[in-house]
Amino acid sequence: MMQFRLEKRREPSKAVLYAAPLIAVLLTMFFGAIIFSAIGYDGVGAVREIFLTPLTNSLKWQDLAVKASPLIIIGVGLSIAYRANVWNIGAEGQYIMGALAATWVALSTHGMTGFWILPAMMIAGVLGGAAFAAIPAFFKTRLNVNEILTSLMLTYASVQLIYYLVRAPWKDPMGMGFPQTRRFAADALLPNIIPQTIVHAGIPIAIIVALVAWFIMSRSVFGYQMKVVGAAPHAARYGGFSEKKTIWLALLVSGGLAGFAGMLEVAGPFQRMVPGFPTNYGFTAIIVAFLGRLNPLGVIFAGIIMAITFVGGEIAQTTIGLPSAASGIFQSMMLFFLLAGDILVRYRLRRVASQEEARA
Amino acid sequence: MTTELLIAIIVTVVGASTPILIAALGELVVEKSGVLNLGVEGMMLIGAITAFVVTFTTGNHYLAILCAAGAGIAASMIFGFLTLSLSANQTATGLALTIFGTGFSALAGQGYSARPVTLLGPLFPGEMATHPIWRVLFGYSALVYFSLIMVVVVWFFLKKTRAGLILRAVGENDHSAHSIGYSVIGVRFAAVAFGGAMAGIAGACFPLLLTPQWAERMTAGRGWIAVALVVFASWKPFRLLAGAYLFGLVMTMELYSKAGGGPLAAIPAELWAAMPYLATIVVLVLISIRRDASSNAPACLGRPFLPSN
Repeated sequence: MMQFRLEKRREPSKAVLYAAPLIAVLLTMFFGAIIFSAIGYDGVGAVREIFLTPLTNSLKWQDLAVKASPLIIIGVGLSIAYRANVWNIGAEGQYIMGALAATWVALSTHGMTGFWILPAMMIAGVLGGAAFAAIPAFFKTRLNVNEILTSLMLTYASVQLIYYLVRAPWKDPMGMGFPQTRRFAADALLPNIIPQTIVHAGIPIAIIVALVAWFIMSRSVFGYQMKVVGAAPHAARYGGFSEKKTIWLALLVSGGLAGFAGMLEVAGPFQRMVPGFPTNYGFTAIIVAFLGRLNPLGVIFAGIIMAITFVGGEIAQTTIGLPSAASGIFQSMMLFFLLAGDILVRYRLRRVASQEEARA
Repeated sequence: MTTELLIAIIVTVVGASTPILIAALGELVVEKSGVLNLGVEGMMLIGAITAFVVTFTTGNHYLAILCAAGAGIAASMIFGFLTLSLSANQTATGLALTIFGTGFSALAGQGYSARPVTLLGPLFPGEMATHPIWRVLFGYSALVYFSLIMVVVVWFFLKKTRAGLILRAVGENDHSAHSIGYSVIGVRFAAVAFGGAMAGIAGACFPLLLTPQWAERMTAGRGWIAVALVVFASWKPFRLLAGAYLFGLVMTMELYSKAGGGPLAAIPAELWAAMPYLATIVVLVLISIRRDASSNAPACLGRPFLPSN
């Protein structure tokens, strides 16, 4: 009998490291087609509509850009945190709090004009998200409370805060009873950068954020500290890097970026705060961060891939009647395949003779 | 407060606590074996939709509970295969399982929303619960008694049986357990499967015990509260029981504060809805102030195991 054994590689395989996300996408397409056929849908059609139509139909490119930008911004923040082994999974809540802080600025400056309103909203967004992430950071560093649970519980609470604000204190007096804020004034809205499209200023900003983050992570002491603390906490301690400081930085940066993405969404596509603002970008960005190999440049591509599945999911809904939940299944399958493939990054599959053969 | 009201409160609290308790008992066993499965919420949603569909098509509640347990096991095996066979990152895989469960249940539940099923009725005949006092003891469905029995079963298994000792050994020191001949991976697979079955049954509580319908994400983070509760209970089954009932109380306070009037009734509904999540944070913080919560955690929790030879 033939047996296989896993043998640890001395160095993680770079080739497999970068090939794995691509393989994961291909496997998802292959198995997705099989699974969706098995449950009675047009499986091949589903894969075509979800993965290919958004790319071949140029009308959909602006949708891709609009959907990808918050995913990239949040994903960049999460990839920095996960590099440091800080498991912030409450990005959705930080995204919401950033948007609420920006909404507060927009509402309290209503009736004023000035170029400063939008920057003020951006600052409020970043601060809102970072402040919300500071809560898990405080409890983690002071009392060693698990940041996964606190950041996630805060997300559920923040959703209720939206409901409260749009129902009572921030409700649009002219909104005919709808629980939503008034539409933001012109100076509180993100400008469109391509006329006649929905492409807003948040899209180039997302790319810039990723490039800056890549530069910082690969070239600065900050980036080095994040990586060392995440990969080898003991070595980091000897090297003089404070673990607590790293946890703080990781949560503030990832929370601030999530809040920034929330500001861009509320001042961009939404133009007002509505109960439907929580769009799951914060959770999907977790997959984006992993698919991008926790590397800001990789996150750009991963954000686009995930936006493709969102836009494609909507197309498949109208053309072949695939339920909207299908894109979530494809997205999580991608993450499963990626995590499974990672074993080949760290280990090498070796064929070994079984004991009987060895004895013979 | 009348006796009637008090009894009504107790019955509601018990109902709201049951799914959390069942899921948390499963996760406790999983964590005792040294595995951290953060996919509880996802497995619960898979259990909930399975139980709903089976009840809707067959009308058989007990078959629905069995199928929910089976679906929970199936989902947990995805996690088990990735983390135990392929030693993938447990945190990331658990999150992936929750995202998968959310999507899968939404897909499978397509077209089932707003369709009613009947709740699972009380286990004991009505005559036994005619008097209000007896309702507190005999007025529940089988799921409630199951959760209480499982508290004792899990405690007995972990503390008093040889198999429980092996499971704890695997969670405390996997390499030693391996070197004296126990199958670390095998034990962990069994624990993960048990956790999956319990999460599936916990999910079944939603359409069968709480609201007789299917709604997307109807577990609303209860799976995560169950995970937090295991920390709160410092991996002890009877403390889990107390914790789950405390949370059930927080969750149902809204209903009765409105009826009771007074200052509590002035609290906005949204704050009440946020209360269980905020309470979870408060409880985790209090536990950590009291002592270092991680000191009681299984030593190998979350660490992948690969035999060195």
